[in-house]
Amino acid sequence: MHNALPRRRFLQTSTALIALPFLESLGFRRFASATTAPVPHPKRLLFIGFGWGVTEESWYPKQSEKGPGYTLSAGLAPLERHKAEFSIVQGLANRYTTNGHYGSTFWLTGANEFGEPGQSFHNGISVDQIAAAHLGKDVRFDSLCLDCGAAASKSGHGPGLSLSWDSRGKPIGGPTHPVEAFHRLFAKDSTPLDQQKAMFAQRRSILDHAMEEARDLQRTLGKTDNAKLDEYFQGIRDMETRLSRDEKWLGIPRPEAPLHEPQPGLAGYEEIKLMYDIMVAALQTDSTRVLTYRLPVSSLLTSLNVTMDSHTMSHYHQPRAEALEVSQKRDLSQSELLAHLLDQLNAAKQPDGSSLLDHTTVVYGSNIRTGHSLDNCPTLIAGRGAGFQLGHNLVLPKDTPLCNAWLTLLRGSGVEVERHGDSTGILPALLA
Amino acid sequence: MQRVTSLFLLISAAALRAAPPSAPTAALPEKHRALLESHCQSCHGAEKQKGKFRVDDLPFSITDIASAERWQKVLNALNSGEMPPEEEKQPAAVQKTDFLDELTQTLVTARRALSDQHGVIALRRLNRREYKNTLHTLLGATLDVSELPADTRPGGFDTVGANLFLSSSQLEGYEALAKEALEDAFAQRTAAGGEKKLRFEAENTLAGFKKSNHEAHLNHSRAASWLKAFEQAIARPENATLVAELRKTHGSGEGLRHQWEKIPGAPHPEKYGLPNNVFLIQGFLTADEFVPYEQSYLAMPGLDTGAYLTRPFSNLGRHSNNALFLPGIPADWPPGDYTIRVRIGATPEAPPERRFIEFGVNHSVDRSPFLSTHEVTGTRDNPQILEFRHTLHSKFLKERARNLFIRERGLGIFNKSVDYFREMRRQNGVGPELALWVDWIEIEKIPTPEEATPPGIRALTGISLDPKSPPPTEEQLREALTRFATEAYRGLPPRPESLARLVQIHRDRLQLGATPREALRDTLAVLLTSPRFLYRTEPEPQEAHRPLTPLELASRLSYFLWGAPPDPALRAVADSGQLANPEVLRSETERLLADRRSEEFLDGFLSQWLSLERLDFFQFNPKRFPRFDANTKAAARAEVLETFGHLLREKAPVTDLLKSDYVVVNGLLASYYGLEGVQGDTFRKVALPPNSARGGLLGMAAILAMGSNGERSNPVERGAWVLRKLLNDPPPPAPANVPEINRLATRVLTTRERLQAHQESPQCASCHRKIDPIGFGLENFDAAGQWRTEDSYTALDAAGKPDPKAKKTWAIEPAAALYKGPAFSSYHEMRDLIAARKEAFARGLTAALLEYALGRPCGFSDEPLRESIVAHSSQRGFAAREFLHALIQSQAFQTK
Repeated sequence: MHNALPRRRFLQTSTALIALPFLESLGFRRFASATTAPVPHPKRLLFIGFGWGVTEESWYPKQSEKGPGYTLSAGLAPLERHKAEFSIVQGLANRYTTNGHYGSTFWLTGANEFGEPGQSFHNGISVDQIAAAHLGKDVRFDSLCLDCGAAASKSGHGPGLSLSWDSRGKPIGGPTHPVEAFHRLFAKDSTPLDQQKAMFAQRRSILDHAMEEARDLQRTLGKTDNAKLDEYFQGIRDMETRLSRDEKWLGIPRPEAPLHEPQPGLAGYEEIKLMYDIMVAALQTDSTRVLTYRLPVSSLLTSLNVTMDSHTMSHYHQPRAEALEVSQKRDLSQSELLAHLLDQLNAAKQPDGSSLLDHTTVVYGSNIRTGHSLDNCPTLIAGRGAGFQLGHNLVLPKDTPLCNAWLTLLRGSGVEVERHGDSTGILPALLA
Repeated sequence: MQRVTSLFLLISAAALRAAPPSAPTAALPEKHRALLESHCQSCHGAEKQKGKFRVDDLPFSITDIASAERWQKVLNALNSGEMPPEEEKQPAAVQKTDFLDELTQTLVTARRALSDQHGVIALRRLNRREYKNTLHTLLGATLDVSELPADTRPGGFDTVGANLFLSSSQLEGYEALAKEALEDAFAQRTAAGGEKKLRFEAENTLAGFKKSNHEAHLNHSRAASWLKAFEQAIARPENATLVAELRKTHGSGEGLRHQWEKIPGAPHPEKYGLPNNVFLIQGFLTADEFVPYEQSYLAMPGLDTGAYLTRPFSNLGRHSNNALFLPGIPADWPPGDYTIRVRIGATPEAPPERRFIEFGVNHSVDRSPFLSTHEVTGTRDNPQILEFRHTLHSKFLKERARNLFIRERGLGIFNKSVDYFREMRRQNGVGPELALWVDWIEIEKIPTPEEATPPGIRALTGISLDPKSPPPTEEQLREALTRFATEAYRGLPPRPESLARLVQIHRDRLQLGATPREALRDTLAVLLTSPRFLYRTEPEPQEAHRPLTPLELASRLSYFLWGAPPDPALRAVADSGQLANPEVLRSETERLLADRRSEEFLDGFLSQWLSLERLDFFQFNPKRFPRFDANTKAAARAEVLETFGHLLREKAPVTDLLKSDYVVVNGLLASYYGLEGVQGDTFRKVALPPNSARGGLLGMAAILAMGSNGERSNPVERGAWVLRKLLNDPPPPAPANVPEINRLATRVLTTRERLQAHQESPQCASCHRKIDPIGFGLENFDAAGQWRTEDSYTALDAAGKPDPKAKKTWAIEPAAALYKGPAFSSYHEMRDLIAARKEAFARGLTAALLEYALGRPCGFSDEPLRESIVAHSSQRGFAAREFLHALIQSQAFQTK
């Protein structure tokens, strides 16, 4: 699977003065010179959100069985082989979230939807983007926000283009299918370098034009209108920032893909599995260190031959009894898929013999517990990347801010920030 | 700018802002201080501040967000029962209920007062619908915009500027969609002129029908022989131990057959001419189920000139699939509007509910949704020609969406279809009667007449789109870009600097090897991501309330009524300077409303005002509500829009939405409502028998179905909807984390007994005493909106399964009383009480229209406007049209 460091890449490093993917080079250096203090492995973060929550009766371990000796619940049974590698955290909630159909919108932000007077909707930056700004400096993509296209709107995620929201609380989009994600990461560009450069220049002049257009308009507008137009300016600036980043990587070919190009048309179970494989490949090739993914819960059900729609399923308390079965089937499939992801992260060995899971934290959960309940948000944290206590059923006081968990995660991953969302401090109970 | 003659300009801009009507003070009555003093202050007072929170200094009059948030905290703590702590003395239930009720109302008032925009409308981006319509008007392209973020939010309108956001991801989306729309338009233009028509004769399917049946018979006998040999092999004594072992894990039926390779002597399926696939073989084995059905098919008359729609069985090893999948639109036909015609008739045996077809694209046996439903009124002897329109999107050209289908209604749910087949076969030994006979199906490209060329394409006159032609001269390009931009910017020409940059971008593209057509497309796409296109600008640097320019007014009008830019006629009126003349404005309003494009107003406004999105929240259990299928649901939704359209057209009063002696329905819905003699797809006014439960929103299937979870009626949802939408008395939003009343799921209770739980605790009672009684009054309607006189409930056992022993049936008891209002003994009496509150309904409708049209929430400072619109319309018998006229003629509508 692993390709040796291509010679060309070294050549380019020395000439192009660009910080290159340095994961493997680091590990290599570690072996080559035992006297130099080992440089720590970079930290990676994966966030996976599943919209409609879980079957509360069968997903959570008993709250009375705190700590490492707990019994794995039926909904988590497929994760048995990884029990020592993850913890379940109970008691977390976002205090401002009130919409029972928004499983992902505020999950990673903790923002108050009505925080801006006069606006019907407001959001803040999501925790992955704070991490991306710190962890993503030296890689091709500071983050990769994966989504599931049309299935997203039927999967209980709520507004958004992915789990991720930028520093102004605007939604961030990304590849919506494994094929698209694969191309983003591994597509080869055979265009000659000169022409690529010219294309970048042209792209830049198009963005300049948009900027000029907005400036022209700005002069004719009042304060309120300009506050709105500011979103346009920011949008263009964000595109410019991304362009500059891409430009730095001009001429550096994308890494060889450690997996085959996926077939189009996959949906549901197989789609998720493949997206997980691509996420692992993205980390393995050090293309990015932060990924988010909103699961296509509705097409997952379809692929399991369930014809009930996912919203009806999520209210399994009320309607017909088969909804409960469907809901539990969903929990099981999602757990199976997560177990597969953890297998893959374990299998991805680093040059020093450690595995990706040693340096990665996987956050798996939803803002919705079940039905319209938004407290005790289902939270599973796996991986040794952030120094978390693993193998435990961690029961925190009721309504502990989710953002405290995110803050703990950031600090544990080496991102020194004061606060996030409505955080009040870190949660030492989560740490080993 | 033209001087405008309407009256309001006499009032100066300063007067506009002077003395806005003061918002009512959001103040909690002093009497509630006692509760805080006796139950809260010992821990949250001047001396002690547990949790760093004190209530003794809370202002009873809420004038800023900070105090509103502190009060919200108090409300949350009381609502959740967190405070006062369990071990402390609790307030009396009545005292607590009133306190919560008034505090909630005070906070709702405070929120409205604090968010009052005082007439300022934030810059409006084209919302997703408007964006799509605008590109359609400009280029004639129909786009799938579902990848752009939706702009709709529960409880708001997608026209409100402050809520229309933008991000870089979205800008990228706009650029991609603009390119797609341009490709589409170019393709349409290059293909324009030539007539394209294709007729598919249904009798051509007969040979295929016979052939696949023949194969099915062969496969069936091969599969039967293989099975016989397999069974002989497992019966061999020497295999007994092995077979017993395999049975433990795989069972005895199909599971065991999958293990044939492990069993010595079991033959390879290929030896029998079968595929090596036990799943398929299983299918072949059941194929004899259809033999009588086939034979009866072949004995039917009319096979030489047509074919019958059959049930699809392809999953069952049978391909006698005459669901009539059309051959598809040929690959070289361009995107655009097509007409589909079907010559079809029902057989004498066809029951009424089977005289419908579904039309759609990209068929798969299961789960493919349809685009429209059509009632078949012709007969086999006297067929009709059904005609409808289909728009082919360029995006789908590469996919399978060129394949069109028609099928009998209800075949989208495969299991249901198979169950139905088997049930009928059990009854008559054959299967369902063949209900629909098709003569032919025709697809025709609607030729675009020259004058109907979209303005954006007309702007490019003189520029060749032929790939072999040389690029345009700079002069030609400059002129075309100017014309195109003027159309795209809704009448405003581009600035010279902007034009120069676009010309440069075009040149660069060519230089980098783009074809002239690509270079043109990319340059125009840049133009279509300009803020001048994406935002509906009304420039005013000083933030003053000034009269709109004629072009701005034209845009407001057309986006309000069409969700699209002004057409050339409206632009011409604006250019003449006459638009603000009240008479002219009135006649333009009438003209726009009479145009088909005003359907966009109906859909955009009504679906958001009445929260029709809820209709798709739940699936309806097909076993319990077989008649409320996707077709009926779509017709029920359309009824709401069609009824409002009828009010507008016929100058009928909006109070008909509260109660009327007619409905506006098509054949499908009429039969659902039990009304006879209505046929066909067209919605029309149908008189109701005396004392009908229908007539008005309360009797509409869509409204009633929204107040359910697809299984049971939900009186709370229905009651809250009525308060919100009909009585203009919205209950505050439900607090989060309130458990559904499922703790009672295991108890055998009637719906009313179950909802009694709301009265137990003060925090529930404060709202539910208003909501629940109205819901009880609607209990005569089941989840799918059908009349009923009794209901039943089967309690769940400990495992969450319905327990048939714990079933209770009761007669519906609709009697209740409106909160602090009169009592009613039946649904009809309650409907009369609600229908009497015309003013409240008119005020609610006005606020919604105001927000939708002006793109900002209706604040307290809008009260005078709201009153004047209600007064104007009430003097004219509450005619629906008059609300729109009064609003459009108002100063607020014509002012920046």
